[in-house]
Amino acid sequence: MNFEQRSEQLVNELDPTPLELDPSRVTVADADMVALQEKTASPLQDSLRRFARDKRALVSLGVFVLLLIGAVFFLPIYEHIGPTLAREHGYIHIGPAQYHGPTYLDDVNSDSGPTALHWLGTDGQGRDLLARVLAGVQVSLIISSLVVIVLDIGLGTLLGVLAGYYGGIIDTVLARFTDLVFAFPGLLFAVLIAGFFSQAVDDRFGLPGTVVLVAVTLGITIWPQMARYVRGQTLQLKEQQFVEASRTIGTSSWQIITRHIIPNILSLIIVAATLDFAATVVNEGVLSLLGIGVQPPNADLGLMINESLGAIPYHPFEDLLPALVLVLIVLAFSFIGDGLRDAFDPRSKD
Amino acid sequence: MLQFLLRRILGLVLVVLVVTFVTFLMGLNAPGGDPIAILLGLHNTPAEHAKLAHQYGLDLPWYQQYGNFVLHLLQGNFGYSYAFRGQSVSSILVPAIQVSATLGVFAFVIALIIGIPVGILAALRRNTTTDSVSMGVMLALYAIPAFVIIPFYQAWMAFDATHGLFYLPTSGWTATELSGNFFNDVFIYRVVPISILAFTEMGYFARLTRTVMLEVLGQDYVRTARAKGVSERAVIYIHALRNAMLPLLTVIGPSLAFIVSGAFVIEFLFNIPGVGYQGVHAVTLHDWPVLQYTVVILAIAVVVMNLLTDIAYSIVDPRIRISA
Repeated sequence: MNFEQRSEQLVNELDPTPLELDPSRVTVADADMVALQEKTASPLQDSLRRFARDKRALVSLGVFVLLLIGAVFFLPIYEHIGPTLAREHGYIHIGPAQYHGPTYLDDVNSDSGPTALHWLGTDGQGRDLLARVLAGVQVSLIISSLVVIVLDIGLGTLLGVLAGYYGGIIDTVLARFTDLVFAFPGLLFAVLIAGFFSQAVDDRFGLPGTVVLVAVTLGITIWPQMARYVRGQTLQLKEQQFVEASRTIGTSSWQIITRHIIPNILSLIIVAATLDFAATVVNEGVLSLLGIGVQPPNADLGLMINESLGAIPYHPFEDLLPALVLVLIVLAFSFIGDGLRDAFDPRSKD
Repeated sequence: MLQFLLRRILGLVLVVLVVTFVTFLMGLNAPGGDPIAILLGLHNTPAEHAKLAHQYGLDLPWYQQYGNFVLHLLQGNFGYSYAFRGQSVSSILVPAIQVSATLGVFAFVIALIIGIPVGILAALRRNTTTDSVSMGVMLALYAIPAFVIIPFYQAWMAFDATHGLFYLPTSGWTATELSGNFFNDVFIYRVVPISILAFTEMGYFARLTRTVMLEVLGQDYVRTARAKGVSERAVIYIHALRNAMLPLLTVIGPSLAFIVSGAFVIEFLFNIPGVGYQGVHAVTLHDWPVLQYTVVILAIAVVVMNLLTDIAYSIVDPRIRISA
């Protein structure tokens, strides 16, 4: 060993830099290892990054969050903004809690147009349009959430997975039921039930009763579609090798379903549910528009369109405002759904 | 083929029976009080009540009432209205069916003859401005509900009317005072409702056609046809388009559901006396038989269209008969 070799050996022993972090000593195989370690993003993080690049979906998400904040937080605040007014020659004093409420008839100021008192104006009966629109967004979102979260995601996924995994009687019953529902347009069924019962339910139980009734009528025909979809996906997954491998080491069916099957179809469920949400917002609006959904004097976007139809030639804003807000919600959810689908499954974007 | 047909028709009968039964059950427990008492009003004596209840068949046990409900459907007279004494439901609904059918068929045809060519064009000029603009418009037509478009249209027409500009009527199915001129009496009243009803479906067809065409254009047989020197025109019209029509055929039946749902909104907002309009107004009048038969008639229309689609598809693609 000559001097140069000996000195290199000493330097190597003293050098604290690990081999793989020193670029000058990296071999080809090590370079692959480094690349793998750097790319630590999970599939979910990949999806989120793809979603974050989708401008249309991000704007939609922003619009939706704004509406949500308006409906949940700003509506109560709005009821505290404004002076106390004297009415009936000073015998009655009303504050913003009254005239900024969604059902208060400020008939002195009907059809007012935007003012300092009523920020977006009032309708033909003097009700504050901003308060009514925000309350309408609330109702619309509550009904659609009930439909989508409880019936579509909850019931639909549960029965779909069970039918797909176990087959048998539950599969047969589900298949017959979905055939029946597919043969029968969803809105027609909702019109039937809501037409018969919405007024009576509103008389007896008020707004909460109507909300539940409308949610159930719209949900009954939506969840079987989700169930059939989930069933198909479960059937495919059940035959995959990782499920088989899991079964051979003795994993119980319940664990296979909750650990392997549901996590694998969750992204598909979320995409489908987002698009169902948009459809439900529309159908809920249709029912209220036809006068068989949420009943007056409660606020609802569809109902507001109905109530202001006669005012279109004179005060078109009263009718166009709820229509615009409704279409914003629908488009936002459609675009978020599209964006999520592209993010979760890049191949779907032809 | 015969076995396939029989099974499908049996399925149809079963669905119609379930629909009539559910609809009937709703009527049996209808809120709003005793319809006979409401009809009689101040003349509500026990003798009169019993007589009228017998006339309406409401004194029978429920299974006989259900039998009559189905029988009235088969006979096509639909029993009697609760809101108008002595008036049969068919006298309200039969003219309405004609109106709704006209509205639906024209909307459907317009949607097809515009939607499909637009979809083909977008697929052929994939990823160009033509593609993105046309698909953007079609997505908007599909996603924006009719009851949002209509108020905007009506506000626009109201503005035009007050400023003496181009104007179309925003309500009604024919002119109230007929002048004998088809254009003024009928055309200007119907063109907009029919177009708006067509919009949703047009967007759906266009987007679907594009997807299917793109899929077909990527198939091996299209590549083979190109490779052996078939002209581009022949590749598109003979090899691709004919095969792309197959999946489109399957959605024609179910797409009637769009028309039915849309008809409620269009008829309500344009005051068109169709089935949906009568059904919705029956709710305000608590005229339950009209609502019941509205739902049953529309359901039958959808179910029959689904069956016709199935049959057409099984003729075009024999594999369906074997697998189904």
